[in-house]
Amino acid sequence: MDTAIRAEGLFKTFHSGWRRRRQPVLRDLHLLIPPGTIFGILGPNGAGKTTLISILATLLLPDAGVVEVLGLDVRRQAGKVRRRINLASGAAKFVWSLTVVENLRFYGRLYGLWGRTLAARVEEMVALFELQEYRHSPFETLSSGLKQRLALAKALISRPELLFLDEPTNGLDPIAAQHTREEILRLNRQTGVTIILTTHNLREAEQLCHEVGFLGEGRILAQGSIRALQTQLGLGDRVLLACAGPLPQLDCRQLPGVLRCRQNETHLELVLDHSDSRLPLVIQEIGKAGGQIKTIRVEAADLEDLYREFSH
Amino acid sequence: MSLVTEAVKVWAFAARGGIMNRRNVFAVFEMLFWPLVGLFSVGLLTRFLELGGATVSFVLIGAVAMNTVQIAQLDVSYALLYDVWAKSLKHGFIAPIHLVHVILGAGLVGFIRGLVVFVIMLALSIWAFDMDLRQAGWTGLAVFFLGLFLVAVIEGVLVLSLVLLFGHRAEITAWAISYLVLLLAGLYYPVTLLPTSLQAVAQVIPLTHFMEHFRSFYGFPLSASAPLARGFLLSLAYLAAGYGLITLSLRRARQRGTLLKLSE
Repeated sequence: MDTAIRAEGLFKTFHSGWRRRRQPVLRDLHLLIPPGTIFGILGPNGAGKTTLISILATLLLPDAGVVEVLGLDVRRQAGKVRRRINLASGAAKFVWSLTVVENLRFYGRLYGLWGRTLAARVEEMVALFELQEYRHSPFETLSSGLKQRLALAKALISRPELLFLDEPTNGLDPIAAQHTREEILRLNRQTGVTIILTTHNLREAEQLCHEVGFLGEGRILAQGSIRALQTQLGLGDRVLLACAGPLPQLDCRQLPGVLRCRQNETHLELVLDHSDSRLPLVIQEIGKAGGQIKTIRVEAADLEDLYREFSH
Repeated sequence: MSLVTEAVKVWAFAARGGIMNRRNVFAVFEMLFWPLVGLFSVGLLTRFLELGGATVSFVLIGAVAMNTVQIAQLDVSYALLYDVWAKSLKHGFIAPIHLVHVILGAGLVGFIRGLVVFVIMLALSIWAFDMDLRQAGWTGLAVFFLGLFLVAVIEGVLVLSLVLLFGHRAEITAWAISYLVLLLAGLYYPVTLLPTSLQAVAQVIPLTHFMEHFRSFYGFPLSASAPLARGFLLSLAYLAAGYGLITLSLRRARQRGTLLKLSE
């Protein structure tokens, strides 16, 4: 199996109201995701992220196109797909009066787990997500962070090969969100599970995803690593250099990592792909050319720029 | 796909329904309070009207049937309604389950709760209104309960189908339909009292035949021959049609995004 996900020519339109008003969401979408990666689907509200993830997770039927998950057709082999995938969403919701353990047992049974296997798997998940203290707490009494941990535990109880995370840190405080991100990274490293997540949060995508796809106008507008996409669009860290005297003769565009540059007599403005690794070399080159740097100001890449660039 | 795996999936819904019932005080309330109110209000009315023994039994059979069907039907409906109310529906349907697991699991809870209500109501009918169950015998009682349970499952499946098709708003409509069925099946009166066109409708409702069969032990005439055969054949036909309808409803829900809307 070369791909975890293969979607070709995917279309989905919703109809709403009495007049069945058409709302096209996905239009001729193409997507290939390799196995074992963490892949982020990014896009503004209403871009169709949840629609796409729901089609891949067999919760929604596509109108047209080929969609394969783990080499299986989501229409004709949905049952086989379901045995090998699972899903957790942000703002987790489960039956209110079942406890942590009862919820895990219920979902474990839906995957055919029973007896000692089920008991061991439930204990494993409770321990993995540090839910021991809350094992007999009803779902409705848990905090948002604990609910999210339960959602991840539920999603892993079936040991899926492919895990869908729909805005997994949505509604969490920063500490709980960071904890969840660390769990996601650890899971991918330790088990090799392919993870497909949707998020609004570009920092989160940068921290977690090997690759991302920007969804807009019903299509994947660009796909690659965040850094590669930054380079492609010329978006990076902005560095402002002021010299004591006149700026030396220097072709900045030839320097490694420079995406854009602008200069006047005493000031040089560069956009570097990664300022932390490139800047020392730039300073060295200016020094060699006889320049004397007075001040340096670095503004980290505004990932929102990247987002805006693809969203509009 | 082993039989054990399939049984475990069925048990998932039965066990959850059991926990929810045990933990929910309203579940006990709906199992005892409404059936008792129903039985006593009708029983006392028969006293006020000074009805004879057989006629009292006729009316009480209607009260027993109504409450047993409604309680058992609720449990079948709850199988998915718990998830609809909790907005967790998508987590169930992303798992490798079929609707048959949902219906059988929930049906098991409905069977037990329906049986408890059936036994309590019959016991109270004997104690408070001198109903004589010896005329029906154990077999008659068992067959009557089985018939009522099948009707409950059919109604429950209908509720689930409508909820999957139209969302929350369909719940009330679906439960209203169950009252309409009781009205047409001759709950407290013979179906021959209905207008002619509605009598024809009554004949295609299995509950009509199950109640007529049970009432025949008390000397009441049948409106059609072989009521049990008719009742069970109609039930099987409706169960098959109901399963087809709910399968179609789930497919439509997957096409139209209702599963997602019900999980938001």
